[in-house]
Amino acid sequence: MSELILVQKKSRLFREINTVAAVAAREITLFFKSPEIIIMSFAMPVIMMVMMGGSLMQNMADGLVFEFGEFMLVGMLVFMLFQVTAMGMASIVDDHEIDFNQEMLVAPVSRYSLVIGKILGSGFAAIVSMAAALLVGFAMGITLPAGKLLLILALSPLMCLASGAFAMIVIGVVKSRKVANFAIMLIMMPQMFLSGAIIPIGNSSGVLLVLCRIMPMTYCLDLTRAVVYAGEAEYESVVLFNPAINFAAIAALTVVCLIIGTFLFARSEKNR
Amino acid sequence: MSMIEVNNLVKQYKGAKAPAVDGVSFSVEKGEFFAFLGQNGAGKTTTISILTTTLSKTSGEVRIAGFDVTKEARRVREKIGIIFQTPSLDPNLTAEENIRFHACLYGMCSYSPAFRLMPLAYRRRVTELAEIVGIEDALFKPIKKLSGGMKRKLEIIRSLIHTPDVLFLDEPTQGLDAASRRSLWEYINETRSRYGTTIFLTTHYIDEAENVDTVCLIHRGRIAVCSSPVELKRSLLRHELILDAEDRPALLSELTALGLPFTVNGRVIVPYRESAQDIVARIRTRLSVLRIHEPSLEDAYVEFLNKTERGMV
Repeated sequence: MSELILVQKKSRLFREINTVAAVAAREITLFFKSPEIIIMSFAMPVIMMVMMGGSLMQNMADGLVFEFGEFMLVGMLVFMLFQVTAMGMASIVDDHEIDFNQEMLVAPVSRYSLVIGKILGSGFAAIVSMAAALLVGFAMGITLPAGKLLLILALSPLMCLASGAFAMIVIGVVKSRKVANFAIMLIMMPQMFLSGAIIPIGNSSGVLLVLCRIMPMTYCLDLTRAVVYAGEAEYESVVLFNPAINFAAIAALTVVCLIIGTFLFARSEKNR
Repeated sequence: MSMIEVNNLVKQYKGAKAPAVDGVSFSVEKGEFFAFLGQNGAGKTTTISILTTTLSKTSGEVRIAGFDVTKEARRVREKIGIIFQTPSLDPNLTAEENIRFHACLYGMCSYSPAFRLMPLAYRRRVTELAEIVGIEDALFKPIKKLSGGMKRKLEIIRSLIHTPDVLFLDEPTQGLDAASRRSLWEYINETRSRYGTTIFLTTHYIDEAENVDTVCLIHRGRIAVCSSPVELKRSLLRHELILDAEDRPALLSELTALGLPFTVNGRVIVPYRESAQDIVARIRTRLSVLRIHEPSLEDAYVEFLNKTERGMV
């Protein structure tokens, strides 16, 4: 046996950052090793943009004070980030089924690092889907300026974090892939319609208003639209909140969801 | 110094009528090889899961390397390595990617996306360990393509790469062929002698526990016996002389005259507790068969189970 012994680094911070990187890299590696996931990442924006978006553009766009194509594209970009990240988080259930969660949970690292790494890794596939949505938008004649696209890209990790943390609340307690898939659909579909991804929500009231206010995607969308419509005449009719409020709401909801989701995940693995 | 201290440990699963672990206490010293044996459902895996922080206890106190498993779980995890009962490898990654993932989680080295970009110390260690356990050719193959034995060997490498103080082995050789089992134990024993690693073993292959320092038998969640294998065998079983002679009636008459108890079961079996030499020296009949039967730990374990069934333990 070699005398060249690897030594555990003492720095807690180093270990946690390294864990986030390793867990995220594993997700990215798995993404590239799964042709079906790559195909789905491209197929989903095509279906959503061309079929749903195209239909809405043809039937709903008239009478709006803003250009619907651009409005819908931004909604789809954020929805792709949310949907694909949440779907990626469901692989925690797969890890449970192959007992890989045991391996991760017995490591001397924070559960938050494991979950954040998982979210950021899942976010990679989400960004691929977002890029595909942009390509589909381009094919449909809807484009965004490069500068604004870069800003959206800069915001995307935050949005993936918000989505993954929100999904963890449900996935953290689920032990079957079938249930996980259903749960993801259950939490994503309402967000698509209530957060304003494809339908303006400026006139929502009652229960729907309350629901849209507690959904992280509402604030992510509004922040993204604030970036896209900054300095344009449509800004007032499209953007609901001050970007600072959006940012604070995203941060608060992400932290709350992350704490609850991680707690539920760790507890469900440990308390039997 | 005790590396593992367990005091009055209780685990009651939700909805279960009786505790899976019911007031278990034992301790394991530094460098000790400790075997925890029992039937399926006796409480072995529950105990090992609590000791390795993957399962919460209902009550009791457990300390590993001086750290409390509940209050100082992260410190405990730094000190231990585990081979779970069921393989916990990612089947979509290669063998090396699985090791790399583990090494990064344990803070052994910075993460890099390719083996060739990893630190030299890591690369040398992985290559060397792979050669020792004989999976160097499989290092860059997906787990899906590895045999059960290779996967187990890979898990051994993974669990030892951070040089743990305590290594928990939960039925590590389950499903392995005889040759794989032997090479695995050779490596584990080498590791133990080199690093002084404390080993906590549960196994169904009782012969694997023959050379441990302490064996604990758990039955229905409670410790039934805890002693060295030699003492356990002595307490449960007698040594036996197996004899026979061309003139068997003469041999039997002589044994009776000497006051030595015996049974005839194919051969003449003479149980003894002290010295076989003394008995043989007293027999004058010419022997055609002379064997000493040394009971194995498995014999003792089976006897323990029989006595348990009869309510004698």
